[in-house]
Amino acid sequence: MAAPGAALDDFGGAEAHADYAGAARRNRGFRAGKSVASYLVLVLFALIAVGPFVYLLSPSLRQSYELFTYPPQWIPHTVYWGNFGRVLHETSYYRWGLNTFIFATAVTLITLVLDTLAGYAFARLRFAGRTALFALVISTLMIPTAAIIAPLYIMISRLPAWTHAGVNTYLGLILPMVCSPLGVFMMRQFISTLPEGLVEAARLDGASEFQIFRRIVLPLIKPAIVVLGIFTFMMQWVNFLWPLVITTTDSMKTLTVGVASLQGQFVTDWGVISAAAVMTMAPVIVVFLIFQRWFVQASMAGALKQ
Amino acid sequence: MADILIKHLVKRFGKVEAVSDVSLRIADGEFVVLLGPSGCGKSTILRAVAGLEDADSGEIVIGGRLVNFIDPVKRNVAMVFQNYALYPHMTVFKNIAFPLQIAKRPKDEIDRAVRRAAGILALEELLHRYPGQLSGGQRQRVALARAIVREPDAFLMDEPLSNLDAQLRIQTRLELIQLHARLGITTMYVTHDQVEAMTMGHRIAVMSNGVLQQIGTPQDVYRRPANVFVATFLGAPPMNLIDGALESADGAWRVRAQDADVLLSTDVLSTPELEQEIAGHSDVKLGLRPEHIRIGEAGQGGIPGRVRFLEPVGSDLYLTVEAAGTTVQVRTDPDSPAQPDDAVTLHFDPWRVHVFGADGHNLRRDAPPVGSETPLVQAAS
Repeated sequence: MAAPGAALDDFGGAEAHADYAGAARRNRGFRAGKSVASYLVLVLFALIAVGPFVYLLSPSLRQSYELFTYPPQWIPHTVYWGNFGRVLHETSYYRWGLNTFIFATAVTLITLVLDTLAGYAFARLRFAGRTALFALVISTLMIPTAAIIAPLYIMISRLPAWTHAGVNTYLGLILPMVCSPLGVFMMRQFISTLPEGLVEAARLDGASEFQIFRRIVLPLIKPAIVVLGIFTFMMQWVNFLWPLVITTTDSMKTLTVGVASLQGQFVTDWGVISAAAVMTMAPVIVVFLIFQRWFVQASMAGALKQ
Repeated sequence: MADILIKHLVKRFGKVEAVSDVSLRIADGEFVVLLGPSGCGKSTILRAVAGLEDADSGEIVIGGRLVNFIDPVKRNVAMVFQNYALYPHMTVFKNIAFPLQIAKRPKDEIDRAVRRAAGILALEELLHRYPGQLSGGQRQRVALARAIVREPDAFLMDEPLSNLDAQLRIQTRLELIQLHARLGITTMYVTHDQVEAMTMGHRIAVMSNGVLQQIGTPQDVYRRPANVFVATFLGAPPMNLIDGALESADGAWRVRAQDADVLLSTDVLSTPELEQEIAGHSDVKLGLRPEHIRIGEAGQGGIPGRVRFLEPVGSDLYLTVEAAGTTVQVRTDPDSPAQPDDAVTLHFDPWRVHVFGADGHNLRRDAPPVGSETPLVQAAS
């Protein structure tokens, strides 16, 4: 057995170290090559994702007569802002914006209330038929909106006058869109991850079912609420099909329907339409950029556990 | 302050009977530990008392009031959970204040009560922190503070120390004993740790498979186990069991095992029951605590055996000895000269022996019947 002082030398000395250094260098080179390749793939996907936005932005900043030059011009020589002015002054853009804001905000708020309550019930309350009811809610996800548009229209248009809901009304626009099964599912999953002990502790502390929901569960699922809120808001902001069906007057149109109506039967001013579309999308993109960190948080739902 | 009376409690989950006809009386101010392996139903009893589970049959009476159909909060018991169940989005102050805020107490009263509870548990410096910023021991103290702040009639503790590391567990155990001595609140404490049970409980209720096996003082259940389960569950290393046959021998009893022949007087074993027992079958198990066996050199009489393993634990030396057709654990002096493969003999006093019948009952004269209650011990407060 070697003396304790000599023991270090028994591990191989300089040659072994040189070997490892070489291997580490080769490994670094390999890793660098790998990361270049993965960045190339990411850039490709980014181009595919960003392309349509650039394609939309470009004509909005050019005069109409410049649009059909050959070869196609992606970046305008001179920036022309006139299209935006025409959208604001020659169409009901402000009114459509207000309608869209009211529509998307109302749907979002009502959806949040209903989905969190339903999610809590499905996650935490024991009642007869819970599983079957939940399966029913989830199965509605499989029905495409287009399939129920006609019956929905008939239902809403035949509502009695005292409901103040019907064609060309805000309630008619909002009501069929509230409460998304996907949101119910998401809230249920999120609430299920909360430790059961928290709810039981609150119950022993004297909290009523609603107090448990309001003071314990809601604060803990804030990330999920924000995500569902943004998601719903963005979906409704660009919702097209239902507003198209249920609004017929210009003053009740939402942005998407309004912008689409700018397309004339014979003449279409693509510059104006592009400018209107850009203005319609801008708020959604801004909202997303502000709240994107919440999306990351929501995907780490488990971090809530102690 | 209140006593807790559990009468013939039964709780089923589907077809599984988690608690089978358990009756238990916990005196005002007493500290009773429910002890048993995982899944033995001890937590279910606690949750039934708290009101988190409904009893399928049987009665739960707290302070003379039947509470089966009373909301958890109105039972005025406080529960401490294994994972503390602190509200992560509230500060320590708000966590402790929560039950009082729900009860809509005036603000200054809440403030006073929280500071008092925090003072008892040395949490004054931490009131503004969030649970995520606390160590395990601190979280446990917050959970205790939240339990004592509304001055409950009884504490229900569900393995409150099992998430702490060994050092902290010993310290917190002592704090809990002191807290109970100071407040004198009736306490039901669930654990699977026999050391916690032995050190903390006025009485221990040993559970297995939903059945109450024995309840008594720590000394009682250790020295006079009602059956094989209690005998082997308490004690580390557990009681040794040696298969043997019981026969009567001129006004005494004799247990014959492989290489062993133990003569027991009728003072030790109960006679009338045994006569019947032996008529049917005479297979028994001989029970011997590791600390009651002495090691002798080979050829000194006693049970011959061979040392297999040595386990020094500092204060003691545990020997595993092959003898009487089984392995026997012996607790001995750490300075013992025993070495693996040594031939030795095992010696013990006959009156230390337990004899368990074929159904597991302890046949000793002084052993209590299974599931019985020993007379209530007045709580020292």
